[in-house]
Amino acid sequence: MVKHILVACGNGIATSTVVATKIRQYLAKEGIDADTTQTRLTEVPGKVASYDALVTTGQFFGETSGVPYIAGMPLLTGIGTDAALQQLKDALTN
Amino acid sequence: MWTEIANGFMAGFQFIINCGPTVMLPIIITIVGLIFGLKLTQSFKSGLTLGIGFAGIKLVLDFMTTNVGPAAKAMVERTGVRLDALDVGWGSIAAITWASPIIAFLIFAILAVNIVLLILKATHTLDVDIWNYHHMAIVGIMVYFVTHNVFLGVGSAIVMAILTFKMSDWSQPMVEKFFGIPGVSLPTVSALSSLVIAVPVNWLLDKIPFFKNSKFSVKDAQKYLGFFGDSMIMGLLIGIVIGILAGYDLQQVLGLGVSMSAVLVLIPRMTAMFMEGLMPISESAQKWSESKFKGRKLFIGLDAAVVVGNPDVITTALIIIPITIAMAVVLPGNRVLPFADLAVVPFRVAMVVALTNGNLLKNLIIGVVVTASLLWCGSATSPVLTAIAKSVGIKLSTGGSLLISSFAATSMIQSYIVYFAFTWKPVIGIPVLLIALAGIWYFFDHVKRINKAAEAAEAAMAEGK
Repeated sequence: MVKHILVACGNGIATSTVVATKIRQYLAKEGIDADTTQTRLTEVPGKVASYDALVTTGQFFGETSGVPYIAGMPLLTGIGTDAALQQLKDALTN
Repeated sequence: MWTEIANGFMAGFQFIINCGPTVMLPIIITIVGLIFGLKLTQSFKSGLTLGIGFAGIKLVLDFMTTNVGPAAKAMVERTGVRLDALDVGWGSIAAITWASPIIAFLIFAILAVNIVLLILKATHTLDVDIWNYHHMAIVGIMVYFVTHNVFLGVGSAIVMAILTFKMSDWSQPMVEKFFGIPGVSLPTVSALSSLVIAVPVNWLLDKIPFFKNSKFSVKDAQKYLGFFGDSMIMGLLIGIVIGILAGYDLQQVLGLGVSMSAVLVLIPRMTAMFMEGLMPISESAQKWSESKFKGRKLFIGLDAAVVVGNPDVITTALIIIPITIAMAVVLPGNRVLPFADLAVVPFRVAMVVALTNGNLLKNLIIGVVVTASLLWCGSATSPVLTAIAKSVGIKLSTGGSLLISSFAATSMIQSYIVYFAFTWKPVIGIPVLLIALAGIWYFFDHVKRINKAAEAAEAAMAEGK
């Protein structure tokens, strides 16, 4: 089954593109069928419920409707990238 | 022989420019990619992605002006509200920036400024996010467009770059403390620029205990004002209101509403193509610079997008958005019709929120002043921006009376000041600007020692070797 991941940042364009691209590359390598949708942080509460995971590039304090949440900042800075990707993989496969 | 080669080169360059941005962008970006060490296929795909993004932006802008242009005109005629500079959003402006014939020079100039400042230990910020250079580059492009002088154009982009890297240094301790992100600074002009106004206004407000100690707060802003943060709904509502004010019938009103909603959702999709195309180049630049500056303790420059999710930032922005629309109507001299950039108001207030430590009352007051500056500077420079857009082949199909504007480019006070200094009597403007910059630099780096923690960390690292 295809997994749907919501990737959010301030404007749904800049940092979310970087993070979404890295996620797609990683999951393709891991053999997990997934697609990403980019959005703005302020639009997360209205959208997130129908996704399998939420990744945001910055701080996020809103409601996730029980969807697993992974902090995406490590994918931008390169510090802790592997741990974050592992966390995402675990969230999708469990 | 050399003159022949030079002539041939110039003819080739002119040929490429004459092809228009959709052809020029792939060629220029392919070359830039190769210089950054990408493989030919990868670089070409990057270039082509940017070309596609530009074609997309052109389509959406054409659609937008065809729909909203006549409505805005009718609204002005019926109500007398003279808002004829349509806010097409920072994404459109970024696209126009990347489509400029001198963009390659500006990108390398800005990158060179960062590297030179790092080597001189004059900045702590490593900013190789090539994408975000568009905020600095647009000033160079506008100055070049007005003065026809490449040196002034590149010079103004260099001054923008120095200002941006220094301001991200100076704001780093505040960003780390308030947003809790260590080792990161935010060289994003769209967020930093507000500090030019926020710092003095905040200083003034702190003289008055009522403002300084205000505990004013708004509960559930997200619950009741959340729709201001949703592009689809915002576009629909603004379209409907403009349609009603234009005296349209119900069918036309609804049509305009959906069209405007479509524009607000589609512009970011197109802009994301630019980001996608530039990513491999940014990554390659990042790898290169990280290997060069190993052993230095530097702040990684990130897009301010990483902090705008903060609840205080969102609350402030959601209140400022409707105020912005109201101000556009009542502010004397304003011509900007706020639209696409209402979506990025959180960027304009993010630094303000960190500066006041989340004091909502001060945030709103400063936010209003910042908004006034955006509207005024945006109105003042919209004719130049419109002329540049036309020069890169964006059709504004409304009989030529409609202007375009945004809350980016020279609508932002930092960019406006630099643009103004370089175009209005540069002989006086540039020296005054540079002296002011030097004075502020001396104050923050040597009097206030605002980055002393970072300096100490770096000195300790150098000693440890």
